Amino acid sequence: MSLLEIKKAHLKLDNKQILKGISLSVNAGEVHAIMGPNGSGKSTMSYMLAGRNGYELESGDVLLNGESLIGMAADERARSGLFLAFQYPVELPGVGGIAFLREAVNSRRKHLGEKELDHLAFVKEVRKVAGEMFVKDEMLKRSVNVGFSGGEKKRFEILQMAMLKPTVSILDETDSGLDVDALKTVSDGVNSQRSDSNAIIVITHYQRLLDYIVPDYVHILSDGIIIKSGGPELAREVEKNGYAGIINAS
Amino acid sequence: MLLKQNNEYIHSIQNYVQAFEKNSFRHIASNDFLKWPDPLEETWRLSRLGKLTRKKIEPIYSDFKKNIHIKAKIKNAICLSFVDGAYREDLSDELPVGISLHQLSEKECLSFLSKIKKTNLANHPSANSSLSCTPSIIKINVDPYFSPNRLIEIIYSGGMDNKSVHPVLYIELKKSSNLSIVERFNHSGTLIMPLQLIEIGELASLKSVKIFDDNKTTYNLSAHSVILSDKSNYNSFSLIKGSEFTRSETHAEFKGEHATMNLNGVYISGGDQHHDLTTAIYHDFPNCTSKQIVRGVLGGKSTGVFQGKVRVAPGAQKTDGQQMSKAILISDKASANAKPELEIYADDVVCAHGATVGELDDDQLFYLNSRGISMDKAREILIIAFLEDIITQSVDGSLRDFIFNEAKIGLLSILE
Ligand SMILES: Nc1ncnc2c1ncn2[C@@H]1O[C@H](COP(=O)(O)OP(=O)(O)O)[C@@H](O)[C@H]1O
Ligand SMILES: [Mg+2]
Repeated sequence: MSLLEIKKAHLKLDNKQILKGISLSVNAGEVHAIMGPNGSGKSTMSYMLAGRNGYELESGDVLLNGESLIGMAADERARSGLFLAFQYPVELPGVGGIAFLREAVNSRRKHLGEKELDHLAFVKEVRKVAGEMFVKDEMLKRSVNVGFSGGEKKRFEILQMAMLKPTVSILDETDSGLDVDALKTVSDGVNSQRSDSNAIIVITHYQRLLDYIVPDYVHILSDGIIIKSGGPELAREVEKNGYAGIINAS
Repeated sequence: MLLKQNNEYIHSIQNYVQAFEKNSFRHIASNDFLKWPDPLEETWRLSRLGKLTRKKIEPIYSDFKKNIHIKAKIKNAICLSFVDGAYREDLSDELPVGISLHQLSEKECLSFLSKIKKTNLANHPSANSSLSCTPSIIKINVDPYFSPNRLIEIIYSGGMDNKSVHPVLYIELKKSSNLSIVERFNHSGTLIMPLQLIEIGELASLKSVKIFDDNKTTYNLSAHSVILSDKSNYNSFSLIKGSEFTRSETHAEFKGEHATMNLNGVYISGGDQHHDLTTAIYHDFPNCTSKQIVRGVLGGKSTGVFQGKVRVAPGAQKTDGQQMSKAILISDKASANAKPELEIYADDVVCAHGATVGELDDDQLFYLNSRGISMDKAREILIIAFLEDIITQSVDGSLRDFIFNEAKIGLLSILE
């Protein structure tokens, strides 16, 4: 059984058809890359999966662990193991990093029937993971994403992923705005979380990220539909011929 | 529909003062209280007293023996207690040398009255009824250069159904003195009408926190006048959360140069509550700075009002006046009104104001939800952050945690 299955997903925003029948099946242990030009519907698809209000499917279905997500609120989806790393992480002035992470982790633990972590145990765990992700202590003390650089925001997203241990993660343009060093740190963070029991969907505009996070499958999204799927070689084709070449050929 | 106002209460005040000498300050004040404010009057338009005026209320006769358990909340504070509007020495702590407290004599009361009559509280219902019916006017005086190392906590409690209560306080900070006061309104009767005059001397500094947390059925109509001298500082923060109806009206006047003031406030309203923070800042002298941040959180069917007037007199050059108000509605039946009013008659000034009323930010809510945090919890987190920010800016030291906790309790009660 797939961990995540998208079946003929159609979605409109403001009466405009954005997703036009996306189907995708992701199994445990796999990394899928979704590539596509700007405006092709990548972020819309991730919001739809994460359960953002206003991004309800017009038709089709999405199954997480075989269970339909339709009608399930965003927080419930997250507690069930879905994670979205935002293309544009949201600033939360006044909400401290540690408190935020703790609330999130404990929500998930409660759902899994695990004991909530006490403050000390939690801080210890965060420090450990943050260290691996090169997230400075000082950053955790600040308000979430406030005054973070582009790279810091993305590292903080991956830190959240590492803390929440999701079964399916969607990383929306996690590479955008990163220099090579940051790209490497973030990719190492993601790679260290690859396992046989989870799956990752990497959304990107550029092939570059896929040199670091090597996918099992690559899908090309254009105008709200997957027009071509293949292995990692497809990403190199995009790099060589651009999207236009592939879109025209299909 | 405008129901005719009932003036029975005004008659009861006139009856009350009959027991006193004809030329007493009480008579003068009662003669000026002819009717409740007209609901069409500009500053009362958004806070109508119709329901109150139709109640059968009389001024209370304070029982100085009434036994009441007063619980100070602030560690190490000097606690002063007012019960039914009367100062209760037996329930209060001793003041340190350098701060004195006394009851004004008839003569001093007359001069207090004439001071009030020179302020913009002259026609305020609480000014006139409280001057008529107060058990006594209490003055707290801080000696020149004195800075107590403890803060003063003033608790207003007591009250009865269908009675009005009238604490009147006069605080004077002499030259270069400092004082920090926390006032807690914990009234349980129908109406409390606190009146206060604060004079801050040259180079003196007053930190004032007011927590309005009266009983669910109480009306609190507070009237404050603050006068600042040269190089003085007034740092005020009000938290309005309890009561059925609270209006805290403050008029602050710069009567010297290089003085500074912060006049911040938070209201947390739910159910059928009505909370009103009305302020007027008068920049009559040059080189003064006033900063004002007001935040409201409204749930249920509550209504919130912020009216903030800033007037810069001709010649009050180099005035810096900033005002920011923001209200968040967490229910579609709640509403908030913000009425900034800038009257600037000088040309070399920096004045800015902004007022917004809105809902919680969708992007922020979704971000929290996407981390598994429920909608209720997400709202709570964002509102607490919204309030923490202003509390951190307004209150310092150990008081900050106390105020923050008080705000949180208020918040949880409206989120239920
Ligand atoms: N709220 C919205 N209402 C209407 N159209 C939208 C909205 N958000 C995005 N779009 C449109 O949907 C299309 C896909 O956007 P998006 O999913 O952000 O693309 P990508 O992430 O692939 O760059 C774009 O044409 C964009 O203009
Ligand atoms: Mg996008």
